[in-house]
Amino acid sequence: MPEESLLTDEVRALVGRETRLGRVQVTARAFRRAWEVYAGGPPAEVPAEGEPVPGYVITGLESESEAPVFPDLLPNSLLIANEWSFERPLRMGEWLEMVHRVTDVRERFGGRFGYSIDVLSETAFFDAEGRLVARSGRTMTQYSAADAAGGGEE
Amino acid sequence: MSGEALFREGEELGPVELRPDQGQVIRYCALQWAFPAFFYDEAAARAQGMPGTLVPGPLKVGLLYRAVEAWLGGRGWVRQVRATHRRPDLVGRPVVIAGRVVRVYEEGGRQRADLELAVINEEGQPSVRGFAVVEAGNGGR
Repeated sequence: MPEESLLTDEVRALVGRETRLGRVQVTARAFRRAWEVYAGGPPAEVPAEGEPVPGYVITGLESESEAPVFPDLLPNSLLIANEWSFERPLRMGEWLEMVHRVTDVRERFGGRFGYSIDVLSETAFFDAEGRLVARSGRTMTQYSAADAAGGGEE
Repeated sequence: MSGEALFREGEELGPVELRPDQGQVIRYCALQWAFPAFFYDEAAARAQGMPGTLVPGPLKVGLLYRAVEAWLGGRGWVRQVRATHRRPDLVGRPVVIAGRVVRVYEEGGRQRADLELAVINEEGQPSVRGFAVVEAGNGGR
């Protein structure tokens, strides 16, 4: 465990900072690829323009850009939580603006990772009118494997 | 609550039996364009102290989403899915998705339900604790 908090003013200043990642379109290709991942085979049909598509299509949309990298404060990192939320279904053909944001950074003491730092971030998707459509959030924990207590529930 | 109740507290989802395989994991990596070796290279996974190649956490979120969507059967749409990853799941090993409606309520004039979800490994332990919110209707199309 470090002698001083690793959450310096410089690190804390990253919380809330927004990065525009550009625009992405919900395409038939994005739908097909996501469907093949989650359903295990090609779709029988593709939704028409303006029709709703499953929320998991968001996975492929996010990969169309690269979010800013959060600094490595500890040597190891692990995804510990994910969340997708939707204000309405995504629609085939629509363009969405992606905005990335670090939503919080927290220190944790004890538990299976020992001293660790949770980095919460999200990509928000806005429609052409600037209305929020969806969010994809994740929590990465940074830790030192040498100090971790091992597996099992926290 | 106005209208016919589409969801019922205590209503169960699943169990849905799945066995995420290497092909599915590789397709997921391609979709994300991210290729950590421990998702597809057995030797690399073992070298990092893992018992085998791992099923990516976000892939399991999508599988939860699919299970909820199938359970809905056209009654509504999925507003939210979230997952806390507790244990790794190994590629090729069976898992079960199970869930239950814990709350039915109305918001914005629409019926909603909260579901508690879990991905359970072959030892009977939850590898993922999940939660979903569904809403009746088609999302205002």
